[in-house]
Amino acid sequence: MKDRLTKEEVLHVADLARIKVNEEEIEKYQVELKQLLDDVEKVNDVVGYDEEILIAPWDHDADLRADEVGEMINKDAVLKNAPSHSGNYITVPVVIGESEGA
Amino acid sequence: MKYLEKPIKEINDLLKKGTIKPIDLVEEAFERIESDKDLNAYITLNKEEALEKARELEGKEVDNLLFGIPIAIKDNILTKDLRTTAASHILDNFIPIYDATVVEKIKEKNMIIIGKTNMDEFAMGSSSRTSYFGAPKNPWNNNKISGGSSGGSATTIAARHVPFALGSDTGGSIRQPASYTGIVGMKPTYGRVSRYGVIAFASSLDQLGPMTQNVLNNALLLNVISGHDSHDMTSSHREVEDYTRLIGKDIKGKKIAVPKFLMSDIVDSEIIEKIESVIEMLKENGAVVDYVDMKYLDNAVTLYQIIAMGEASSNLARFDGIRYGLSAKDPKSHEDLYLETRREGFGKEVKRRIMVGSYLLSGDNAKTYYNKALSIRDDMATEFDKVFEKYDYVIGPTTTTTAYNLDDPMDDPSKSFMDDVLVIPVNMAGLPGLNIPVGFDKNHMPIGMHIIGNKFQEAEMYRLGSFIEKELDLDLNPKGGK
Repeated sequence: MKDRLTKEEVLHVADLARIKVNEEEIEKYQVELKQLLDDVEKVNDVVGYDEEILIAPWDHDADLRADEVGEMINKDAVLKNAPSHSGNYITVPVVIGESEGA
Repeated sequence: MKYLEKPIKEINDLLKKGTIKPIDLVEEAFERIESDKDLNAYITLNKEEALEKARELEGKEVDNLLFGIPIAIKDNILTKDLRTTAASHILDNFIPIYDATVVEKIKEKNMIIIGKTNMDEFAMGSSSRTSYFGAPKNPWNNNKISGGSSGGSATTIAARHVPFALGSDTGGSIRQPASYTGIVGMKPTYGRVSRYGVIAFASSLDQLGPMTQNVLNNALLLNVISGHDSHDMTSSHREVEDYTRLIGKDIKGKKIAVPKFLMSDIVDSEIIEKIESVIEMLKENGAVVDYVDMKYLDNAVTLYQIIAMGEASSNLARFDGIRYGLSAKDPKSHEDLYLETRREGFGKEVKRRIMVGSYLLSGDNAKTYYNKALSIRDDMATEFDKVFEKYDYVIGPTTTTTAYNLDDPMDDPSKSFMDDVLVIPVNMAGLPGLNIPVGFDKNHMPIGMHIIGNKFQEAEMYRLGSFIEKELDLDLNPKGGK
């Protein structure tokens, strides 16, 4: 069994996670991520369980709130935490045309 | 000044009589914290606001036991206008605009928030060493870890800075540091306490709970924070009982199961011996104790890795550098803003977990790993149901070792999961778990016992916990003198 992921595998996983990685990090992740993936592989050794699943251990059915307007978060307060804003809008880098360039 | 170490009822009496004022307690708390700065228990202190709040309370009626009492809050719980970082660089400038439901409840009782405690980044870790702000130190030995992820809350309680702290527990993060520092820590039943306003790690496992120096205080704080919340649809409608009501009551005839796995050779022999001596004591006092076989306990870490990393990858997708938190400078594109912000903002442990989690949920992997883990999780919960048909409690040690050295290597990515091997099953099944200090190892580091109860049986667990506390009567002050 191989003891590390390939560079391409690490880059794929980093892309899924939307995290940029540099060469030095890639090398470390080749080993570290492989170890964690080997750990979780053990789930395939477990036998004897049935197909029922437990997503979350609630004691009741989901009760949804009535669709009524309640307390609102203050817009100015929200914008205070935004790294960059203009008027009532949060500013982001240009999106249109980005895909053609990539 | 030593008011803060008095029993809570005495402090309350002194406040009622006017012998002391809330500001005396707040000043004392900050004196204690400031003289222990090296312990690094806090990320952010709330000194000015706490003093102001104490002054505000002077004219008010002392209407409950926790009135005017200082409390520390783990830094993944939102506190309005008070910086909340989850010990991450990505949130190190984040000022919440609302309070978590538990914080609202604490404020309603006029408790005074002293500060935000240190922790593993996003609660991911078992030693609090993944904190962007450096690790807290164990008050029993400053070269040792306080455990994690609620390491700062454990530290400040063990060091007697304040009588109350809140922690969060996704896979042992209240109970394991409580064990390492010799304090009482409760992870309540899933749904007992609202998670609204908690920075989510793994939503099907996360739960908040009290960390205190004794069982009574623990139950008192659980009384305050429990209850249904319309902002958290997983929170239970079940009525909040008085969790102190069985404290000090007899344990005669109580049935206790000890799963053999929890007492196997993965646990240090010194710890096993200590737990066995407590079991003998319980038997002598009329409890019935049986060693039992339970399936799937040895698979819990694997399930946890899959479920917790999967859920974390999804929950942490919100940190994008756009709406709040760190934002990478001069990104080349929108996509680049995400990638750079997350590269700069997250620490190593968090990145590993997000990457593996994203992978486990992608494409067919969801079936191969995640769905299987959920199936086994269901069977594990059924195993507990079966045991609780016959028994009142399940007990064992909380940890396999006592606290280890702060400078032990951190290069093994599985280590932080294995530290919680004995306590993770409780989160999987949504059960309540309680750490009670039961003694010390040869280096005088605390050993903890783990009491597991059936769902919503927290009051029963405090019965057993308080019984052990009273019988053992340990000196749990690291500086001595009780």
